[in-house]
Amino acid sequence: MEEDYKNGSSYDEYYDNVYAAANDDDDDVDVDVDVDEEEYVDGLQEPEVETNRSLFSARPTCKVIRKKYLLAAQKEDLQRVMDLLSLKEHHARTLLIYYRWDVEKVFNVFADRGKEWLYSAAGLSVRSSKDLNSSHSSNEVTCQICFEDVSGNESTIMDCGHCFCNSCWTEHFIVKINEGQSRRITCMAHKCYSICDEEVIRRLVSVKHPDVVEKFDRFLLESYIEDNKRVKWCPSIPHCGNAIRVECDEYCEVECACGVQFCFSCSSEAHSPCSCLMWKLWTKKCQDESETVNWVTVNTKFCPKCYKPVEKNGGCNLVCCICGQPFCWLCGGATGKSHTGNTIQGHTCGQYKEGEVEDAECAKKQLFRYTHYYNQFKGHTDSLKLEAKLKDKLQEKIVILEAKSQQLKDFSWVTNGFNRLFRSRSILSYSYPFAYYVFGDDLFKNGMTQKERQIKQNLFEDQQQQLQANIEKLSMVLEEPFADWEEKDVLQTRMKIITLSGVTDNLCKKLYECIDNDLLAPLQEATHNIAPYRSMGVEKASELPQSLTRSKIGGQ
Amino acid sequence: MVDLARVQKELQECNRDVEVSGIRVSPKADSLTNLVGTIPGPLGTPYEGGTFKIDITLPDGYPFEPPKMRFATKVWHPNISSQSGAICLDILKDQWSPALTLKTALLSVQALLSAPEPDDPQDAVVAQQYIREQNTFVNTARYWTEAFAKTSSLGVEEKVQKLVEMGFPEDIVRSTLEAVGGDENLALEKLCSA
Ligand SMILES: [Zn+2]
Ligand SMILES: [Zn+2]
Ligand SMILES: [Zn+2]
Ligand SMILES: [Zn+2]
Repeated sequence: MEEDYKNGSSYDEYYDNVYAAANDDDDDVDVDVDVDEEEYVDGLQEPEVETNRSLFSARPTCKVIRKKYLLAAQKEDLQRVMDLLSLKEHHARTLLIYYRWDVEKVFNVFADRGKEWLYSAAGLSVRSSKDLNSSHSSNEVTCQICFEDVSGNESTIMDCGHCFCNSCWTEHFIVKINEGQSRRITCMAHKCYSICDEEVIRRLVSVKHPDVVEKFDRFLLESYIEDNKRVKWCPSIPHCGNAIRVECDEYCEVECACGVQFCFSCSSEAHSPCSCLMWKLWTKKCQDESETVNWVTVNTKFCPKCYKPVEKNGGCNLVCCICGQPFCWLCGGATGKSHTGNTIQGHTCGQYKEGEVEDAECAKKQLFRYTHYYNQFKGHTDSLKLEAKLKDKLQEKIVILEAKSQQLKDFSWVTNGFNRLFRSRSILSYSYPFAYYVFGDDLFKNGMTQKERQIKQNLFEDQQQQLQANIEKLSMVLEEPFADWEEKDVLQTRMKIITLSGVTDNLCKKLYECIDNDLLAPLQEATHNIAPYRSMGVEKASELPQSLTRSKIGGQ
Repeated sequence: MVDLARVQKELQECNRDVEVSGIRVSPKADSLTNLVGTIPGPLGTPYEGGTFKIDITLPDGYPFEPPKMRFATKVWHPNISSQSGAICLDILKDQWSPALTLKTALLSVQALLSAPEPDDPQDAVVAQQYIREQNTFVNTARYWTEAFAKTSSLGVEEKVQKLVEMGFPEDIVRSTLEAVGGDENLALEKLCSA
């Protein structure tokens, strides 16, 4: 195949080859590559009409919120609630913290249950300032916390109507803020769950403890991220300072402005088509098993004659190196060839005994199963790392091509091809832990019969293999020194890359369809939400609109 | 810093109507942050007739943080550890309010004795017994009350006698015994630390 490329076989021949490769093992898989629409064929320029399945159409738009704009982003949501319910900012904040910054939810509860219900659920009591003044006399009152008599202006009445002295309020606020409860500081009265007015908190605490006020404001601001199911901190280390906001709370993967891609749902690395649970179990397993895998490595012994590593094959402890030297597995000493049930003739280390290992057979099978998936996963992850270096090399190629090219002006096919390779490789590597769990006993023990499982596993592995074959071809073509070739050969490489990209894109789609429709849909046992396949790759978060970021920042 | 002025007032307030409530709070030694509360076992419960001592430690943030309370008297109750005396009661945790006092907290503890909440147990063994074998539970609780919560059956004069024999002046013994509500052990503790 490699030869074919270099010798410049005709496009048609090549295309047939690719096509055949894609269909190598299964004639049912049809790959819809329309050569006439080559602009779309690599899947990177999106066709106008999206695929009809929701699997591919889900397109949560996400925004990156830089730390300095956090306040502006929060204000935007506050403003919507303030406008709708004619509330002050701190009241709106109380509502939004309670409803986890879900503005739609606040609107819906308001529409369904009315203002009173909406407010009382969130511990919000809104009194007009007139009420407050009339009930707040300037007479002396006894504070029910410290039992001291204080004048009216040394005490404060909260929205709920409870009145205590200012120094008690202050102490209470400081204790709560230091406990990290800034978001919901309730009244001091027993069984009064009304949230204290944040302006009063600021005013009273700032008298003696401006640093605590700062802490309070920081907590309130961070609540916008920590209590908000649509906003998450970017998990980059060291932290880039950004947060990401998604418009719909779907399972999706996002790319922060700092370049880190992550699963929005669990904040770990992007791991589709693994579900979050599978990925969590898998990373845990990889940690736990590293010992055991080591054990396997340790249990490769070296031949006492030629020093080649020898793996044990079968239960018998008399092993034989390819050089022909037999030796005792247990002590590693050279022996003769004949043995009985429990001795090797002429060998006296005393450890040899046949059959003992059989108990461990089952555990070993499990371990080998894991090792198989792990090696596949690891292999593709490693390739991914190597291929990441390809990016710079390709950039150089583009520069060379741009300088000498006559006909070709647009070299986006190089970068597109690279992106396709990178994306598909990553999907392929994460498809192994997925397969480990879907066809294993850990999560879906009773999900399918043994026979069903076998059929589905064959189907899935078939798809993985087709995908892998195309990825390897794409990788190979991209690595070729096509920048040094004549233009007609470059044109041909371009065709190959575009076609292979398209085929690969389609195979990825099919893999996800198989996962969604054939594998997960019939399983009842757990809800596994998988970030949908995006032909364009993980969505890059866009910056918040300028209008928003220009609005007032820095609240204090 | 514990608001000592408030604690002082609380103690006065509480001990003023001790005849009515039966709830008593007194300082352990001289510090106002380590106290002992006593509550009578509620009538009509297996705890009736017992006097239960509760160790109280006031955290620095008191009254803005809840007091720490622990039964010093062994008690058989689903929400109280039979080992450590730890109490599972919401107002001693997140439902605490600075508007509550040691007395109201002790009243809540007393109410807990009358109305166990086996669904939120502190002592799983006791809770299981409470749910499955009411009779055994009542008998055990009653037995524990007899064994641990009834201060010695000595009369006042006998207590005075005993303490005087230990070398304390009679008038001081009498006033101390009175101050701690007749508990000879508490009185001894106080006399020794004086
Ligand atoms: Zn006060
Ligand atoms: Zn209140
Ligand atoms: Zn970032
Ligand atoms: Zn995840």
